[in-house]
Amino acid sequence: MALLEIDQLSAFYGKAQALYDVSLQVEEGSIIGVIGANGAGKSTLLDSVMGLTKTQGDIRLESASISGCKPGEIVRRGVGYAPERFNLFPYMSVRDNLLVGAYTARDDIARNLDMIHTLFPRLEEREGQETSTQSGGERQMVSLGRALMTSPRLLLVDEPTIGLAPKVCLEIADVLRRLQAEFGLTVVITEQNANFALTLAEQVHVLETGRIVASGTPAELTDDPRLAEAYFGH
Amino acid sequence: MGLRWYHFALWAAFAAGMFLLPEIVPRGTLRTIIFANFLAIFAISWDTLSGRTGYVSFGHPFLIGIGAYTTAILTKRFDVPVEISIPLAVLMTMVGGLIVLLPALRIKGSYFALVTLAMMELMYQLVQVIRPDLTGGTRGMSGLPTLTRGAVNGFYMSTALMLSIAFTTWLLMKTRLGTALSAIGMNEEAVAGSGLSVTRLKLVAFTASAFTAGLGGAVYVHYLGSIAPRALFDINFVFTIIVAALIGGAGTTIGPILGAFFLTFLLEYLRPWLPGAERYLIYGGVALVLYMYQPKGLIYLMGQAVRRVRKGAA
Repeated sequence: MALLEIDQLSAFYGKAQALYDVSLQVEEGSIIGVIGANGAGKSTLLDSVMGLTKTQGDIRLESASISGCKPGEIVRRGVGYAPERFNLFPYMSVRDNLLVGAYTARDDIARNLDMIHTLFPRLEEREGQETSTQSGGERQMVSLGRALMTSPRLLLVDEPTIGLAPKVCLEIADVLRRLQAEFGLTVVITEQNANFALTLAEQVHVLETGRIVASGTPAELTDDPRLAEAYFGH
Repeated sequence: MGLRWYHFALWAAFAAGMFLLPEIVPRGTLRTIIFANFLAIFAISWDTLSGRTGYVSFGHPFLIGIGAYTTAILTKRFDVPVEISIPLAVLMTMVGGLIVLLPALRIKGSYFALVTLAMMELMYQLVQVIRPDLTGGTRGMSGLPTLTRGAVNGFYMSTALMLSIAFTTWLLMKTRLGTALSAIGMNEEAVAGSGLSVTRLKLVAFTASAFTAGLGGAVYVHYLGSIAPRALFDINFVFTIIVAALIGGAGTTIGPILGAFFLTFLLEYLRPWLPGAERYLIYGGVALVLYMYQPKGLIYLMGQAVRRVRKGAA
């Protein structure tokens, strides 16, 4: 069953159009990757699902439209968002960053904190540390943790490996797999790092200048010339 | 969040220390502290909106003025008792401020600052020309009922008010709501992305700030017994409030109090040498150096000193 359905979605920043008739489905319990070069519209796609951009078309969560809903309502319906480049509150502690995420899911705070500390033990050790003093990998953990504090069933992660060392990327991939396998979450990631997405996701969509140009399983897309074209233009 | 017994013990010690001051400092110093207390209240009010959410207001006397003029007019022209006029003034500040300034919260940065500055200037002009029979026009009003007599009583009243406001604000900021308010100033988009209503949070910050400004402004005129538009809507007054919050430590509760006391005493001690507005040049310089050296303010410098002492003792 599709948890998220995006139908003929167009997105705009003022008069500039960033997405053109994007349609895709996300099956419950799956990990989906959206890959593409800079400016392809990956972040816009996730922002649109979160109600953070002006859109046309329809977005449905469990068959109910969430188009036009405010971000708070979308979060309450079970969508968590870890934005690009962590987007944290730099002068707050790890714990306070997480608790901002808990604002909409007050009843689950202890359970969610337990889950986050299980996934990222380092965050428990450093819960009093300001995030501005943390490494890129730790900040990405806080960003994912903050999204998990909203008790999501669908987790949107924008470029989780950007600027991170390969070893940290592997840790992040492992956490995303555990979220799917152990906690039953559905995950959508956007990535410039095609290898990361092709290794992790079950279904991958290639986005180029606001349009989906190819979709398939990693095996199908690995040798697809459209993938190279989306990145290298030839 | 993060409330510990020693936090309350420190507040109790701070309050006890303040209330012992009349026994050990001269009357003249108490009068200076009274003004520092009121400046601290205004700086806390400014910080609740601007220091936390990042919406920098250059027109805070607009809010203080609504509270001050409302109670002054009610008591002077309509013989309303102070006990009723002050709550009404606070309510008026919150409602009036919301009607006029809330739409401005849709704009950000320097534009918001300019709108608030324009509102202060507009109010300055309006109180002088519209119904001067009520507002007292350019000369303002004098002979307003006073709440206390003498330096000691004035000190107790202003200190009790400042401590109550500071403690309440501190408690508010320790809640998840307070954390979310501070988060807006750091990353408004991420707050929205976490599913929080930024508009609602800004409304809360504004209302809390207006409440404090209105209460401070209303009590201030009943301490002075007079109100003068030129002093209230003076650009130096705005800067004193902002600088107090910034050099003390914006985004904290104790910072604006520290900054207010530092500035008030600095200005007071400079008075014999520089009786005119030149004093503001000196304090501007001091503020600049302090701010360049440590943008997190005096509160952070004090924290560093405490950490060093602890480290040395260990």
